[in-house]
Amino acid sequence: MANENLNTTASTESQSTSTEDPTSEPLVEQSISVDSERSHTTANADTVIESRNLDVYYGETQALQGIDLAIPENQVTAMIGPSGCGKSTFLRCINRMNDLIDICRVEGELTFNGKNVYDDDVDPIALRRRIGMVFQHPNPFPKSIYDNVAYGLSVQNMDVDVDAVVEESLKKAALWDEVKDQLDKSALNLSGGQQQRLCIARAIAVDPEVILMDEPASALDPIATSKIEDLIEELAEEYTVVIVTHNMQQAARISDTTAVFLTGGELVEFDDTNKIFENPDSQRVEDYITGKFG
Amino acid sequence: MATPGREIDWAGETGQVSRLRGVAFELACLAAVGVALVSVLVLLLYVATDALRPFSADPGWHLVFFLTLVVPTLGTAVYFYRLEEPAGEVAYATTGLPVVGILFAAALAVVLDIELVTALELFALLVATLVAAGIVVVHGRYRPGAALERLGVVVAAPVVTVFGVPPVEVIRALNGVLSLIGLPAVSGARLPSLRELILLSPVAPLEWILVIVSVTIPVAGALGLFVARRRENRRDGLAFVGGAVAATLLAPVAGPLLGIGSTGWVLAVTFCLLPPAVYVEGVVRRNEGVHGLAFPLVLVGGILLGAVLVRQFGFAPPDSWLDWQFLTSAHSRTPEDAGFYPPIVGSIMLLIVVAASAFPVGVGAAIYLEEYAPASGLSGKFVELVEINIGNLAGVPSVVYGLLGLALFIRAINMPSGAVIVGGLAVGLLILPIVIISAQEALRAVPDSHREAAYGMGATRWQVTRSVVLPQAIPGILTGTILAVGRAIGETAPLLMIGAAASVRLAPNSFSDQLPAMPRQIFAWSSNLEPEIRHGVLAAGVVTLLVVLLIMNGTAILIRNKYQREL
Repeated sequence: MANENLNTTASTESQSTSTEDPTSEPLVEQSISVDSERSHTTANADTVIESRNLDVYYGETQALQGIDLAIPENQVTAMIGPSGCGKSTFLRCINRMNDLIDICRVEGELTFNGKNVYDDDVDPIALRRRIGMVFQHPNPFPKSIYDNVAYGLSVQNMDVDVDAVVEESLKKAALWDEVKDQLDKSALNLSGGQQQRLCIARAIAVDPEVILMDEPASALDPIATSKIEDLIEELAEEYTVVIVTHNMQQAARISDTTAVFLTGGELVEFDDTNKIFENPDSQRVEDYITGKFG
Repeated sequence: MATPGREIDWAGETGQVSRLRGVAFELACLAAVGVALVSVLVLLLYVATDALRPFSADPGWHLVFFLTLVVPTLGTAVYFYRLEEPAGEVAYATTGLPVVGILFAAALAVVLDIELVTALELFALLVATLVAAGIVVVHGRYRPGAALERLGVVVAAPVVTVFGVPPVEVIRALNGVLSLIGLPAVSGARLPSLRELILLSPVAPLEWILVIVSVTIPVAGALGLFVARRRENRRDGLAFVGGAVAATLLAPVAGPLLGIGSTGWVLAVTFCLLPPAVYVEGVVRRNEGVHGLAFPLVLVGGILLGAVLVRQFGFAPPDSWLDWQFLTSAHSRTPEDAGFYPPIVGSIMLLIVVAASAFPVGVGAAIYLEEYAPASGLSGKFVELVEINIGNLAGVPSVVYGLLGLALFIRAINMPSGAVIVGGLAVGLLILPIVIISAQEALRAVPDSHREAAYGMGATRWQVTRSVVLPQAIPGILTGTILAVGRAIGETAPLLMIGAAASVRLAPNSFSDQLPAMPRQIFAWSSNLEPEIRHGVLAAGVVTLLVVLLIMNGTAILIRNKYQREL
């Protein structure tokens, strides 16, 4: 059953610890340097996504407990925390991907541009057309590179110059130069990092407002990871990016705001990234970041 | 470093772990394989010997063909296997494709021959479908937004062009217009479809010309498109289509010369020449395993050379039961005249009914169960129950399905007893669970991450199913269906239950005619009083049936391998 299999997505977090980039381990133990050149304008930015007292249950198990947070526009918001703490669940609540899981139940309020996405009159399909998503493992379709990028345009019946959009999206995803001569070749021939950038190009081709990324670099090697990170920083100029990551170095490098989830599905701290990594309010967050707990 | 004084218990006489049970188990498994292989091989050899009677030939005949055919082909096969594996694959495909093509062409030739579908009908169908497709495309271009209207057009256009409008609808529409302008209602007539209008035409071109237009050009067009895309050159595709049509235009000369008639030539070129040509072109262009192309030449050359030599030396060929006469005549009481033609035709028609009934229903059910049915809660449990019982249905004896066919189609809805359509529907019911299960497996093999990616792009469930799931699942679905249909043509019990006649003199030419089927005829021969029929003719029938099955399964494997490599 397709639906049944999708249930496993809820548990991908527990698997991902083993696939986590091994290079990140020693870095965590060192002091974490925050990219202080980036300007943090959290206070001034408009809020795009806001959750108020959001509870999520999988059957009897509660995955998220009363989450309150506000994601600012055109910035990178990172979600960090140990496995099974509900960061991916929160991400999937934003574009209602959790609807695909039969046993998932959401209570509370989650607004996108001021409208609660769990209202009865919201069409999740139309919502997902405004909020793109990139997954943990690169998942291009077994079609040509061109068809992969054009896929969203065709499902959304967009009346645009497809060739131009494909080229522009691939350029934005920093992939154009590598694939411009092989657009009709299968996307599966690309390397893992290229495939992930292709998935990002596919997501931005339909020009969403928000891009959700569920550990986009955890299945990639360090070089591919750094390319993806550069790309995310560029994307934040145009899009609101929400990224779930296990790699605290990564969160510190690329994000403007960080949310720390800890075991039990609670949001422990949500603040400016500098503040979280340099001077967190909560002792538990400090323990987690410095590797004493987690 | 070994510490002195510590005993080594992992080497020497006493330090061995016993593998006795493991070895015994391995040998038992090996014996099972041996028993299975030997019993099947003995059966096949026994039947083949009875059918072909190889020992009735001169030893010289065997020697000649051994030297001209067996040694060279085996030699090249071993060479490919040892030294050039891609060439072996090419050899397999270039030999297999024409064989499948011949089977296809022969099936179509039979269909045309018994006028099940005439060439004019084919042409009319093609034109009507093209017009319908044109309407759908034009509508999609000018009104892409109107989803409901589009659904109506997609359904109505083919129906109107192919089947016409029923009289009731015409009258209603006409009266609606008339009442608007205040005129009295009239009784209208049936509005004929485009297809029927073409069929009404008093003059029609020769059959082979119609076949070129309605079969060769679409096939060559599709292959030409493929060639053009692969070579990234539109002119090459056009050249391919042009060459194909030119080759078929030789029909009035070449057909009678080869004794297969003009239509036969057109069909042979279309199905046996064009697909291998495209394949060979690909092999030559990739320059991979080119030596494999020699294999079919060695094969055909060996046969021709052997035939010439045998005639030269005057060696008598085996007096085989399985010969051209057997394949082209009906059952007779004298073994020498007995043939298998009506059952072959009947089985082809049975296949058409089986595929047309089981494929859409089975695949539709599988798609619903995999993609739409609820997975949790009470309804999820119910779906699970349904799935388990579909598995059980696959194990229900075929005679029970025959009984079901008898009760349902003959008793309840009064179809003619023993008709092709009844047999086809009964056997279709029989393989339905198998089709559903194999299609479900193919759908399940599509990774969920692809579904998620599509949902994340804002695709609807229908778009996900159509553009992501089905394209990936189709090869698996086709493979499973072909294997299931292969099983279907060997089924005898349901045919006995629905009253299929033992021997039918004339090949059926409509779906409500009496069904002669290969297994049914074989079963009838098995109780014939004439020993030569019981042994020789029956064996020839069995070999024919097995060859058809083998080719179908080979096709299924080819499809599977081809797509597995591409993914």
